[in-house]
Amino acid sequence: MIFFSGGTKKIIRYPHFIFEKEMKSKDKYIVIPFLTPGVLITFFFIVVPLFMAIRLGFYHMESYISPPKFVGFANYIQIFHESSFWNALKNGFVYGFISIALQVSIGIGIALILNETFKGKSFIRGLTLLPYILPTVVVALTWQWMLDGSIGVITNAVEKLSFGKVNWLETPTLAMFTVIVVSVWTWTPFVTTCFLAALQTISLDLIDAAKVDGTTAWQRFFYITLPILKPILVIIILLRGIWMFNKFDIIWIMTKGGPLGATEHLPILTYQKAFQTYDIGGGTAVATISFVILFIIVFIYLKIFPIEE
Amino acid sequence: MPKKDTPVKKVVIYSLVILIAIYSFFPIYWMFISSCRTYRTLFSSTSLIPGPFSLRSYENLLSMTKYLINFKNSLWVAFVTTGITLICSILMSYVVTRYRMRGKQFILHSMLFIYMFPPLLLAVPLYFIFTKLRLTDTLWGLIISHTTITLPLGVWLLWGFFKAMPFELEEAAMVDGASRIKAFFWVVLPLSLPGILTVSIFSFLLSWTDYTFGLIILSSDIQKTLPIGLATMVGAGDLNWGEIMAGAFLISVPLLIMLVFLSKYFVKGLTAGAIKG
Repeated sequence: MIFFSGGTKKIIRYPHFIFEKEMKSKDKYIVIPFLTPGVLITFFFIVVPLFMAIRLGFYHMESYISPPKFVGFANYIQIFHESSFWNALKNGFVYGFISIALQVSIGIGIALILNETFKGKSFIRGLTLLPYILPTVVVALTWQWMLDGSIGVITNAVEKLSFGKVNWLETPTLAMFTVIVVSVWTWTPFVTTCFLAALQTISLDLIDAAKVDGTTAWQRFFYITLPILKPILVIIILLRGIWMFNKFDIIWIMTKGGPLGATEHLPILTYQKAFQTYDIGGGTAVATISFVILFIIVFIYLKIFPIEE
Repeated sequence: MPKKDTPVKKVVIYSLVILIAIYSFFPIYWMFISSCRTYRTLFSSTSLIPGPFSLRSYENLLSMTKYLINFKNSLWVAFVTTGITLICSILMSYVVTRYRMRGKQFILHSMLFIYMFPPLLLAVPLYFIFTKLRLTDTLWGLIISHTTITLPLGVWLLWGFFKAMPFELEEAAMVDGASRIKAFFWVVLPLSLPGILTVSIFSFLLSWTDYTFGLIILSSDIQKTLPIGLATMVGAGDLNWGEIMAGAFLISVPLLIMLVFLSKYFVKGLTAGAIKG
């Protein structure tokens, strides 16, 4: 609830609870049954497992049914001595940073173009959302088919441009590049859609006034559009960042972390430990470490770019 | 008044828009035409023009794999997950926005916090719990694990929605003699239909497209959902890309239909922070 007081432009915000109802004992008959199902599910299948996950990192287990043995920090010490962990950490940062940077810049670019006037606007906007709603499996497999070593449509087109046959997913450095390209293709529409929605909140008068003042399109973008949309951009980057850092499925389907660990990042390492070598303690320890790293990054990010309500 | 664009600018904009359209749509187009091409052409030419047509891939897919069973599993999991998510998140967010209570900020913050967890951090202990409850390799196990993602999302979206809805509306109904429960069912629920629809769409989408949890929880062929079933076809025996693309296209059909009819709600959900991954 926002009220303007008098001639000054100061906004007084009344706290929302003024309008909320004080809970009386007869209301318990509504509140408790309404809350119970959600709270129970959250407690037993989210809160309890999370504490268990952190605890399991300190235990050694041979399988999911064998009795856990307490080993203290042994799993963590072991992990920090493994080169595969440091490799996975590095790959995670490379994958995360490059794919977010590309998603955000391409997403903004597409949004700016789609914000111009042209015929069939809503149809094209729907079309650009398509890559985002497709299941990851479909995206990964379709691209694998297009990049197939012998008869992929992209492989052949690139060959015709006289680059020779490219082994997209079998060459270590190229595999990372390919995975990033596919990730960018499928997750950019999120940035586009959010940015496009935000663009429509900018008043045209402001842009027109700047045009009258003789500014160039670049100046208008960097000095008007971008500063106004900064708060939204901060949130978009935060959400995309969290998800790209945790992304597992697309890389697993396309490369299984290979070749030679070139696309193996922390989620892949977690899966391999917990569900393939059945080093359950080690797997949860890796997952916990990756959560702590993410938490620290998000914390620093929010210190630099605080989110206003 | 918007000024008319110069012809040069028009040409530039239209060509960029066409480029964007091709960029977004080409892989989907390629998936579709590969799925209905004859075998011989599929592996000898990469002509961009569709054809020659053949439904062999679809026939093989349906006769040689458990695709229909997988389809049924996926539908069941997605619908039940959506149902549970809706019931729990509607009830929870309604009460929490309407009453002053302790621990409310805590619930809201923890929902946001859960957003940040690596799904795999949750998957390991969940699998551990499911082995005790004998829920591994069952669809109920999968439904529960999907709910751990969709429920926080639903509460988060509906929270904002209920908060924005004027309290006076239901209070007016209550002054007219309706009980709070009645006011909830007859006034609040019908008015929050757009919010409920958004939550349904995203719960369905998350559950229908999920790969990670399915990979971990399901192991036998007849329990698999579509994404897992399709991924295991790669490199398996007699199957090839024609069938895989046919399967990929069929998984996407329900989502394409949803997008055509409900794109408004997709945009609404996305801009409210509903993330599919």
